[in-house]
Amino acid sequence: MTRRGIWTIALSTTALCASAGWAQDDKIIVGFATAESGFMQAYDKPAQDAAMIRIGEINAAGGLLGQQIEVVTADTKTDRAEGAKAGLTVVDAGADLVVVSCDYDFGSPAALAAESSGKVSFFLCAESIKAGIQGVGPNSFSASVLAAVQGATMAEWAYNKKGARNFYRLLDTWTEYNKGICDGFDYMLPKLADAKLVGEDTFKNEDASIAAQITRIKSLPAEPDAIMLCTMMPGAVSAIKQIRAAGINAMILNGSGVDGSYWLSAVPDLSNFYVPVQGSIYGDDPNPDVTAFNGKYKEATGGDPSTQYVYPGYVMIDVWAKAVERAGTTETAAVVAELEKMKDEPTLFGPRTFTNEIHHQNRARYLIVETNAGKPAVVDEWTISEPIPVADLMK
Amino acid sequence: MAGLLQTLFDALSLGSLYALGALGIALIFGVMRLVNFAHGDVISFSVFALLWPSIDAVAVVFAGNLPWFLLVPFTLTMGAGLAVASELLVFRRFRRANPATMMIASFALGFVIRYFLLMLFSSRPKSISLLPALSQPVEVFGARIPLLQVIIIGATLLILVGLTSFLKRTRYGLEMRAAAENFTMARMLGVRANRVIMGAFALSGALAAAIGLILAAQTGTADIQMGGAVMLMAFIATVIGGLGSLPGAVLAGFLLGAASVVMQVVLPAEARVFRDAFVYGAVIVVLIWRPQGLLSARGTKERV
Amino acid sequence: MAKRASIARRTIATPVILCVILLGLALLALWTGSKPFNQTIIEIFLRVILVVGLYIFVGNSGVISFGHIGFTCLGAYAAAWLTIPPMMKGISMPGLPDWLMQTQLPYWAAAGLAALFAAVFAAIFGRILMRLSGIAASIATFAMLAMIITIYSNWESVTAATSSVIGIPIVRTIWPYLIGAVLTVFVAWGHAISRSGLALRAARDEPTAAAASGVDIACERLIAFTLSGGVMGLGGALFAHSIGVVTPDTFYLGLTFTTLSMLVVGGMGSLSGAVLGVVILSSLIQVLRWLEKGVQIGDSTLAIPNGLQEIALGVVMILILVFRPAGIMGNSELHWPLARAEEPGHGDT
Repeated sequence: MTRRGIWTIALSTTALCASAGWAQDDKIIVGFATAESGFMQAYDKPAQDAAMIRIGEINAAGGLLGQQIEVVTADTKTDRAEGAKAGLTVVDAGADLVVVSCDYDFGSPAALAAESSGKVSFFLCAESIKAGIQGVGPNSFSASVLAAVQGATMAEWAYNKKGARNFYRLLDTWTEYNKGICDGFDYMLPKLADAKLVGEDTFKNEDASIAAQITRIKSLPAEPDAIMLCTMMPGAVSAIKQIRAAGINAMILNGSGVDGSYWLSAVPDLSNFYVPVQGSIYGDDPNPDVTAFNGKYKEATGGDPSTQYVYPGYVMIDVWAKAVERAGTTETAAVVAELEKMKDEPTLFGPRTFTNEIHHQNRARYLIVETNAGKPAVVDEWTISEPIPVADLMK
Repeated sequence: MAGLLQTLFDALSLGSLYALGALGIALIFGVMRLVNFAHGDVISFSVFALLWPSIDAVAVVFAGNLPWFLLVPFTLTMGAGLAVASELLVFRRFRRANPATMMIASFALGFVIRYFLLMLFSSRPKSISLLPALSQPVEVFGARIPLLQVIIIGATLLILVGLTSFLKRTRYGLEMRAAAENFTMARMLGVRANRVIMGAFALSGALAAAIGLILAAQTGTADIQMGGAVMLMAFIATVIGGLGSLPGAVLAGFLLGAASVVMQVVLPAEARVFRDAFVYGAVIVVLIWRPQGLLSARGTKERV
Repeated sequence: MAKRASIARRTIATPVILCVILLGLALLALWTGSKPFNQTIIEIFLRVILVVGLYIFVGNSGVISFGHIGFTCLGAYAAAWLTIPPMMKGISMPGLPDWLMQTQLPYWAAAGLAALFAAVFAAIFGRILMRLSGIAASIATFAMLAMIITIYSNWESVTAATSSVIGIPIVRTIWPYLIGAVLTVFVAWGHAISRSGLALRAARDEPTAAAASGVDIACERLIAFTLSGGVMGLGGALFAHSIGVVTPDTFYLGLTFTTLSMLVVGGMGSLSGAVLGVVILSSLIQVLRWLEKGVQIGDSTLAIPNGLQEIALGVVMILILVFRPAGIMGNSELHWPLARAEEPGHGDT
């Protein structure tokens, strides 16, 4: 608590001083235009904390291009109009990199502000194809992996490793993220020989009861091998609860949005449940450095990472700093050029690739976490056979 | 046959939820002509009252671990308590104000409650396992229905019967009905205004808490916005049912729930996402056909 | 006719004073030269347009409409359809008709057309809804809003559903918004002193007497509804240009309650109340946000805990309503201190 308090005061004071107005050319400044209050805060803050850890590591090792990285922040308050202002504020304060919210819808106003000022913007963990060139502009990137990759990964893995042939698709129409997962699933399914879609349905995240949708599943001639559930918190818990309560024991495949064990108490003894993650928060990651990072995170913030969405924050600062080192400057065009040269660049959480066509990951190494009897654990690793083409992502 | 029964139970249980909500709103509207926009936040508050304030991802349950016969009264008391507190602190000053002012005041109050919860608990929805035994399905005439649904329907009917007999048979209930029909006249005849209004708020708060319990048990999550969707539908149901008419509110609640479920089942896949648009369209049609509501209460019809 | 001109001359002070206040805010933004502050003032002007649009209907007819933000949504998307480059439209909204797909207009023309589009829909909906009174009308307007948002949230080929619509040209100078706000204030004033506005206010205060005097209540309400729908559409179009992205959920309950609160707190029956409600509440929000960020006093920083801003806002609103139940301005308008003469239709009710 105290550490967070000190950080807040330090950052606010820095923000106040930095917002005195004039851009500093001899300092490297990272601007965070993210949600420090409102409902996005629960998602932005963990990733931001991870980013701060990386910044701390770089500064401790001598800084970037010989200078210490400074941080300015502005609160978007989970409001789009306020987000635009937050973006403008950090740009005015001289930010060389503008970090924006975890979600395209809430991060785009700030990203657009950065883009129109010619600055590099990075989405903390947005997983929509729009978080990048397609939705903001040529200087915008995302630190996470596309939602479509999650859907495609689960489909291919379940087909190859679990012998699943009959799939049911249940889509939560609430957000683009959910639709992205199902888009990836739709892309992959035709490529799997004799895999069939035996049915599909939609629901809304806020529906207290999905009884009608469950009735449809139960009235199929045979229980499907796997249910592709394209949803996210908070409605995901209710949906999963009701599916299991109705006696449907098929495999449930998900996106990364339901990662975490904090919600498992609501569905006791959950089994046959699979989630793709970039790194394991449960301490059993095959890479011991990830577990070491989890320890560092706990030390810095007072709690273990609650979901895998902490990790993209770390990766973001990592790749940006590397690009700056290679370019020898923080000037936008040079940094963007270096980022676009990255192909399978190794990071703590898997290889990252950026091209001049897509500033996002349309292919990634995912760890598959299985929840068995209420306990999640990494059981496998999977990378889809080919990257998802941009045209299919933009449909 | 089993499918039809399943749909019937789905419709009844969703309808019960809306009916309970509509009842809570209609009670207050009846005595004060106030549409209480804070009702949804009373629902959320009652559920969060079970948790210890913490912004961690994992909920720290303290009261939620109590056995059910203590848990239920505790939650109902918290809901009633908050509602009575809001009447004492806020709504008492607005007795004479015009409807718009009261509405905005109730909305501001709901806003304050919601952001207070946000400050204490952070926006991440918390998972709670409330009365897990209720999720087990039971077999009824070949249809597998979660025990919780049966309990919801049963509890709603019990509450309705209880409330009706309270209103029709006890003196307090008589005073409430009189106040709902004509507040000024009732006061002149010796009805204590404050008591009646406080009673209405307490009942309404308890109903909100009941809805909160049901939602929490059904979805397993405590989320700051959980009361919002139900409250909207309850608000609509109250008006369609006939303002000031409690049976009307309940009837309309059931009808709305049924409409929603039926649309989900009957519409073809592409049109299913527009389910809510159809429901709202039906609402507009009902309002045009019968603006005074399905069952209008005596005394609320405009004389001229 | 002479009567109308004299009413106009007697009440012209109100819109002029309000526009001077708005102009003052614009000049303040220019003087500080800060981009975020500029954006704040743009936001205030947008809210003025929306709240004054609400006032045109809600203030004059006494019917609380929860649905007007639906017209804002219609206007915003119309502006999007008319100003996004055709290539981007083809990718994200392939279902648009060809002539619309190829159109790309400058933002001010698009804003005008968007206002017209919203007004047409307001006329259509209004025709159906204006028969209703009181709370039934309010719920019906809410149902209309919910319908619009549901349709826009799911009609993928035409509105890109819940996807953010991107590519709307961003306008960051303050003048278009100031002009929009000034225009709105004068339109509202013009309607209020017109025959239709007076008749509508008569119907608000005494429906029976007004009907007996020959006022066609439904017709007058329809006129106000259409006009206010158009203004909301204009607000929506300008909103789209201030941010650059639109999604349907921006135009739902949050914005509805924000604008209604500002109207009621400012004074529902008064144009000055509408504008002042926006200005005062927006300034309050800004001050609270600055306090949240932390204010330097000497060597230390004074800051209120995060999240307290909204709570404080709610408490202040309740307090204002406790002490002034009819809102800050009540039913009266701003006018020159000297002109104390009775103004028909604008006196204290």
